[in-house]
Amino acid sequence: MKITSIYLDHAAATPLDERVLSAMQPFFTEFFYNPSSPYAPAIEVRRAYEAAKQVLAKQIGAKSDELIMTAGATESINLAFGNIKGHVVTANIEHHAVLEAAKLRAHTLISSDARGYVTADSVRAALRPDTELVSIALANNELGTIQPLRDIATVIKQEREDRLAHNNTTPLYFHSDASQGVGQLDINVARLGLDMLTINAAKIYGPKQMGLLWAASHVKLSAQIVGGGQERGLRSGTENVAGTIGFARALELATEHRVYEADRLRDLRDSLQERLTAAFPEAIVSGHPKHRLAGHLHISFPNIDGERLLFSLENRGVLVATGSACAANKGTRSHVLTAIGLPEKVADGSIRLSLGHLSTKENIAQAGQIMIEEVRREYDRVSR
Amino acid sequence: MNQKIKVYVGMSGGVDSSLTAALLLEQGYDVTGVYMKNWTQDLPGMICPWADDLADAKRVAVQLGINFKVFDFENEYKHKVVDYMIEEYKRGRTPNPDIMCNQEVKFKLFLETSLEEGADMIAMGHYARVEDGVLKQAVDTNKDQTYFLYRVTGQALQKTLFPLGEFTKPQVREMAKARGLYTAAKKDSQGICFVGKVGIRDFLSVYVEQKPGEIIDKSTGRVLGHHDGAIFYTLGQRHGLEVGGGLPYYVVGKDMDKNEVYVTTDLNDDTLWKKTVGLASIHWINEAPVSGTYQIRVRHRAPLVSANLMLNEAGVELDLSNAERAVAPGQSVVIYNGSICVGGGIVV
Repeated sequence: MKITSIYLDHAAATPLDERVLSAMQPFFTEFFYNPSSPYAPAIEVRRAYEAAKQVLAKQIGAKSDELIMTAGATESINLAFGNIKGHVVTANIEHHAVLEAAKLRAHTLISSDARGYVTADSVRAALRPDTELVSIALANNELGTIQPLRDIATVIKQEREDRLAHNNTTPLYFHSDASQGVGQLDINVARLGLDMLTINAAKIYGPKQMGLLWAASHVKLSAQIVGGGQERGLRSGTENVAGTIGFARALELATEHRVYEADRLRDLRDSLQERLTAAFPEAIVSGHPKHRLAGHLHISFPNIDGERLLFSLENRGVLVATGSACAANKGTRSHVLTAIGLPEKVADGSIRLSLGHLSTKENIAQAGQIMIEEVRREYDRVSR
Repeated sequence: MNQKIKVYVGMSGGVDSSLTAALLLEQGYDVTGVYMKNWTQDLPGMICPWADDLADAKRVAVQLGINFKVFDFENEYKHKVVDYMIEEYKRGRTPNPDIMCNQEVKFKLFLETSLEEGADMIAMGHYARVEDGVLKQAVDTNKDQTYFLYRVTGQALQKTLFPLGEFTKPQVREMAKARGLYTAAKKDSQGICFVGKVGIRDFLSVYVEQKPGEIIDKSTGRVLGHHDGAIFYTLGQRHGLEVGGGLPYYVVGKDMDKNEVYVTTDLNDDTLWKKTVGLASIHWINEAPVSGTYQIRVRHRAPLVSANLMLNEAGVELDLSNAERAVAPGQSVVIYNGSICVGGGIVV
């Protein structure tokens, strides 16, 4: 594998792990059979598929017949919302997949605080007697802020008890999109108090277009894609066997290395953050200082143009993200940065750095140096 | 030496305007890159890639370390260029939106906005030369774009730089490559910018209702077939007639009221060839020329042909030394005096 640039956008996409690729490979060629076919080799494929789902289920503390495999997280989210007719509560910093699904229904958007943190109290305040779904991501994709899902689950549990006491039979489900925290955080659906969970493989060195929805057995879902009745009739279409095998292997590997990798990334991230904030005291780091994904660093350089910075870094071989395209592209400023109340001058100078497997002590040090040079160059130009 | 001269360069995200900015910077100008956001229409299956073009323009500006801005001319462009074009087609004419864009947007609105913001001059990546407000053909005569510039004023040109006018297109590619410009190998855009790659017919279909009409053989009066709107046909056109068999048919005329298209197989048909051409909506870049012999061009990249020019009350009457094929109403004819582009007018 040859990657010449310094990649600092692991939150957008990750390279497939070689071990994941090896696990998947035979299922493209040798074990290509349709898992629904009756002959022996196909049955073997079916077994491998079921085994992979069991691995996935085990990793999140669930049962494999509660998983519905989907083509990515967005589809999983659409499935989670699909049967909801009543009111929905979610946060104004959620991913577009959740926001757009919420907008199709009666909904309340909770405001996060300036750190991108959604408190349990704010969820409590937004609940209505007809609320059927609360959907809060495990971690925010731009800021890396990790949400207090257990506290929110407690609020939801209380609400359910209240409803029982008042003969309100409206069901209330708690869903979380964990696309951004999976593999980095310990996810156990029972411990987190969830009814539904979305995860995907693309952010954990697995294949793209591979996700799943876990839904507890009491949750009523309705199929969004109908056909041959695969996945308990909830998601028709021939099973993506290779993808599921890869997903399982990727999640297994992520779990195996989770603690070590999180420590490693946190050290690298913190050193980069310290270096940049020391060089530019005016820089603003967003996200929760404590509850933040280990590889995430969202930093804003007031009065410079984040997109310019992205291009100049790209020119030097450093790939980063900007949630906020230039002010000239009006209307495309990140909704997350607006939601947490960053002034435009700050928001427009933002870049998101997300570290991962491709990050090393050397290339992070090098990236830090390049960033300092390029940010300085931009500040010099602006002040000319 | 040019240090204090502030130049706003129109950067489209293509190789020509990228190199234009680079050259001016090297010549010591104080350069600001500006992307003009003009009106675009996303048509099914074909998206005008303006967002990518904007990003490319900005990438090059960042590479060069120059300031970069976006001027949003969407409304004005739609009003002055797109609506004009659609109206002209509805009248059965064949307009040229690029000429209108230069007249109304690039060398008027863009110039005025740039000057208001403190620029001393503007620059464009056109293949043309300016000397003291006089427009001259580019050194690369094959690439020369003065045809599109004949409706620009001398005053505007006084404030305009065309650094590419001295170079050939291959040289420009080479120079862009040598400087490592991000857009050095980018393909040139095709067709009318806001129409994208779909072609004028698909574009017009969005705005004009299709109305079936007859395709009639001019000499026999016989109905040969049907079309879905006379508006979609232009003089001299051969393709898209869907009249099968035998010799190819060419459009020799149309009646917009009757919605009829007239065709012929006779390549020598009188209507296809014009030896005298009347022009209206005359525009002279500087002072009006005197009557006499000039060179004219009836479309972009067409060879120059000699013509006798007579000024009259209606405009200009041209007597061509050789008849020209398919000179359609609405089309521009541009007049040259040697290498100098004098101006021109629109075929009546």
